[in-house]
This record gives sequence, structure tokens and C-alpha cells, in this order.
Amino acid sequence: MLSRLSRLGLALPRSVSVLSTRFVSQSKADSAISSTAVTELYEPVNQSGHGEVSPFAKNPDFHGFSTDPEEDVRNMKMGFFLGISVALVIGGTFIHYLPDHGMRKWARREAERLILLREKEGLPLIEENYYDVSKIILPSSNED
Amino acid sequence: MLKILIPSILLLPSTWLTPQKYLWTTTLSYSLLIASASLMWLATPSETGWSFLSCLMASDPISTPLLVLTCWLLPLMVLASQNHLMLEPINRQRTFISLLISLQIFLILAFSATELIMFYIMFEATLIPTLIIITRWGNQMERLNAGTYFLFYTLAGSLPLLIALLLLQNSTGTLSFFTIPYLPSTCSTPWAHKMWWTACLLAFLIKMPLYGAHLWLPKAHVEAPIAGSMILAAVLLKLGGYGMMRILIILDPLTKELSYPFIILALWGVIMTGSICLRQTDLKALIAYSSVSHMGLVAAGILIQTPWAFTGALILMIAHGLTSSALFCLANTNYERTHSRTMILARGLQTLLPLTAVWWFIATLANLALPPLPNLMGELMIITSLFNWSMWTLILTGLGTLITAGYSLYMFLMTQHGQLPHHLISLNPPHSREHLLLTLHLLPLLLLILKPELIWGWSA
Repeated sequence: MLSRLSRLGLALPRSVSVLSTRFVSQSKADSAISSTAVTELYEPVNQSGHGEVSPFAKNPDFHGFSTDPEEDVRNMKMGFFLGISVALVIGGTFIHYLPDHGMRKWARREAERLILLREKEGLPLIEENYYDVSKIILPSSNED
Repeated sequence: MLKILIPSILLLPSTWLTPQKYLWTTTLSYSLLIASASLMWLATPSETGWSFLSCLMASDPISTPLLVLTCWLLPLMVLASQNHLMLEPINRQRTFISLLISLQIFLILAFSATELIMFYIMFEATLIPTLIIITRWGNQMERLNAGTYFLFYTLAGSLPLLIALLLLQNSTGTLSFFTIPYLPSTCSTPWAHKMWWTACLLAFLIKMPLYGAHLWLPKAHVEAPIAGSMILAAVLLKLGGYGMMRILIILDPLTKELSYPFIILALWGVIMTGSICLRQTDLKALIAYSSVSHMGLVAAGILIQTPWAFTGALILMIAHGLTSSALFCLANTNYERTHSRTMILARGLQTLLPLTAVWWFIATLANLALPPLPNLMGELMIITSLFNWSMWTLILTGLGTLITAGYSLYMFLMTQHGQLPHHLISLNPPHSREHLLLTLHLLPLLLLILKPELIWGWSA
């Protein structure tokens, strides 16, 4: 930005902050000066140590993990790798290839096999009683 | 079982012995490795019966999804807390992480317990780290009140539970989950039997929470730091649901009549807390009340004890755990930037933080039970089994679904849409950490669409 200003033929003193310059003509209309650089309208509040400094000011590549940039990147890499590549991808693959979770496919095959068997032998497909009625021994109906 | 428990216990010394520079990296890495290893619990050969058996610990289709959720949540909590703890002295950071790890240990022991007394002790033990997290690291003065409400509401319910369990132990000699389904009924007098029934369930109903006893939840969730809110919403509420599922086996046949008022209270709570959500100005309180609403549906589902209701309750518990935790993380990203939980203070964020808006969108859609997410599947199974139980519940559940959609959209529109307020001149862009955190919440939820039988429990 300094180079841009110097194109206009202005040699700015270093005390004028580059970021806060604006081009506002404060001279009268017939003045020979075309434009003047002025400082910005609101003075930046001197917050050194008192206000909240954005961590992105010191480290533009802040990932959110640590103020030390090396540890920040390391933490980010470990987190993303172990969280996504290991836990979700490898874990997900593990879960996907689990054999017949809950024996559902087996139950289906067994049901189809039993139906074929019973239809071939002419037996009813399913009995009304779950247990064999003759094997149930009921207590006698005496008054106790 | 020990494959996961011992590494979790050993995370404690590793927290204290790791040099300061590597603390969060190592904790995150190891807890993610434990979480990946915990997926082995899903490799159950059959759906019936217990797997990974030992004398004291076992897992079965109900407890397995909750165990995996618990292990998954620790790295997420570590990720979420990293930012707000950065400025604290190192020993306090280590203490905080130790509290999170001890919560994980207690929760693993609780969900894998095969004996009711062990479950009870672990149920109570989880209160202590949570209380310390809320009262020490909460951000507002109200955190002391919140801690008191949290502790005493839960204790008031669980002391009768202790007496009921001791009574059962006295009369039967064992409280092992393997044998209690086959026990004869204990109490003789009808009145004593009814009191015993209430004593058994009260602790879990307060924990769930049931609508009448839910006051601790908004306070505790709002005042807790992000990790506290996450573990509370995602897992600790489900302890109540899980406990109810286990203990209802021994509470037959009284449950047929005695559960009526609680079912109705739970369903009424769905509507009432949903309506409260529509009037909330505090973002975390809105998410907290939405938790009460979803858990009311779960409680009603568990109390009617049909296979589909149990399945729906279990699916909704897992899905809600991930969704609610994700919403709290999103609310925390707002809070860390604006230091306020008021919703109208940070509006129109979609313009400023579009990628975070994507996460807001997905989490909101999950909260309002969009198909084919498991949230909808769980809710639908509970609603249909409730309808089967009694036609009239459809009015309550239907209205509840409508209000849920209403407040979820309200929350999304308030925070994301609209015009950016004039005072928001500098908000930090979202960190990679925050994106990772929300990915790890929402991607498992989306993946569960593909294989919901992992969280179905017993029924087909």
C-alpha cells in the first residue's frame, strides 16, 4: 500500500499507519492539492493486554488448538487423522463388514429352509402352540 | 470389556504425566484410539443374550450402542473444551480432563454392569465429576444453584432406589441381571409393592427427565461448560433411560396400571417443554428444553414396554445424544465469540460464518427429526407403538412433533437468517477444531442411516 501511495507522489512519514489512511480531500476546491491522506475517523483503541486479541492476529493459520503454531498443526493433523481416517473410515469399514449382525440373514435363510421342508412334508407351516402341550405339567387345582 | 476400560483408566496418569505442550494432543489422540477400539463391542455374534461376558461386566444389544456413544464422546469433549481452557493454569486443565476421563470410566462401568448395585453405584458416581465440572468451570453465578438442583434432584430419586434395591437383595440374595428376570415377585402387601415400584423407577424418571421433575436440567445444561453440557445431554440422560429399561423387567405386573400417570406426564411434557422452547431467548436453554422434550418421548416409549417402543427409545437415545451434543457445541461456538447466550445478539450468522451455518442446518434438521435420519426412525417407532397402545396419544405426539419442528426452525432462523446486527463487527472465523468437532458429531449420525440395526436393540 505504501507503494500505491508513493505513486501519487506522496512520501508518507512512517508514523502514519498505512492501514488507517483514507483519501479525503480536506482542501478547498481551488486548492492545488489534489488529495490528502488522513488518518481514519475512529482512533484505534489501544487495547494492548486489555482487550481480546484474536488469535488469528498472531498466527493467521490458527487451527483452534494451540497458540504454539507447531503444536497447533500437529494437534490438527492428529485429530483429523485419528478422528476421521481411523475412527470413522476404518471403524466404519469394520462395522460394514461385520458378519451377519444380529443373525438376521441367518434367520431369513432358516425360515425359508423350514418353510420348504414343511411344505414338502405337508405339515402346517407353524403350530398354534409354541410349546408341546403334552409336556406342560400344570399344578393341580386344589385350594392352597 | 477390559480392553477399553483399562486404557480409559490409564488415560488418567497419562493426563498428569504428559508435558504441557502435548497435553491436548495426546489426550485427544488416545481417547480417539479408545473410541475406535470401542467399536469392537458392535461385533456381537447374535442379538440375543449377553456378549463380552465376565463376572461383573457384560454388554448386550441395549447397552452396546450406549457404551460406544460414551467412548465416542470423550474425544469430542476434549476437542470442545480445548479453547476455553487454554488460558487456565496447566494443573487446572489436567484436573478438568481427569474429571472427563473419570466420567467416562464410571459410565463404561455403569452401562456394562451386570449387577444392579454396581449400576447404582456407578449411576451415583457420575454425579460427582459432573457436579464439579458444573460448579467449578461454569461461567455464570447461577452455576452454584444449578449444581445444587442437579445434585439434590437426582439424589432425592436415587435414595429410594437404594432402599428398593437393598430390599430386593435381601429377599432374593442376588441382583444380577442374569437372574432377576426369573425371580418371583417380592413384596406381599399391595401398598408396599406400589411404593417399591415407585422407588425403583423414580430415580430414572428424574434423570431422564420426566416433565414434572425436569427443573434441574435447564439449569445444569445452561450453566455447565461445553463439555459438561455435552456429557449431560448425550449420555447422562440416557443413564436414566437405560436404567428404566433394565429395571422394568422386575417390575411386572404392576407396571400395567401404575405407569399410566408417568406416560401421560411424559407426553404432556413433550408438548409443554416444546412450547417453552418457542418462547426462549437463551440459546442453551432452548437446546436444554428440547432435550427434555425428546426424552419425554423416550420415557413414554420405555414405559409401554413393547418391542418397537424399546427399539424406538434406544434409537432416539443414540440419535438425540449426537444431535443434542452437536447443538450445544454450535451454541458454544456462538458463546465463545459473543460471550452471550442470548439468541438475538448473534443473528444472521449465515452471512458471516457460512460453513458453520451448514452444521447448524444439519443439526437443526436432525433435531426436528428429518427422514431418513435415525432421529425420525426412533420417534416414528415410539409414536406408532404409542398409537397401538392407545389411540389418543396420537394427538399428544403429533402436536409434539409439530412443535418440535417449530422450535427447531425458530432456533435456526434466529441464529442464521435475518440481518446481521450492527454490533457484530469482528467475529473470528470458525476454527478447524470446531469443524472437526461437528464433523465427528454429525457424520456418525449420517452413517447410522446406513446401518440402523446397530442401535436397534433386540427387536428385528
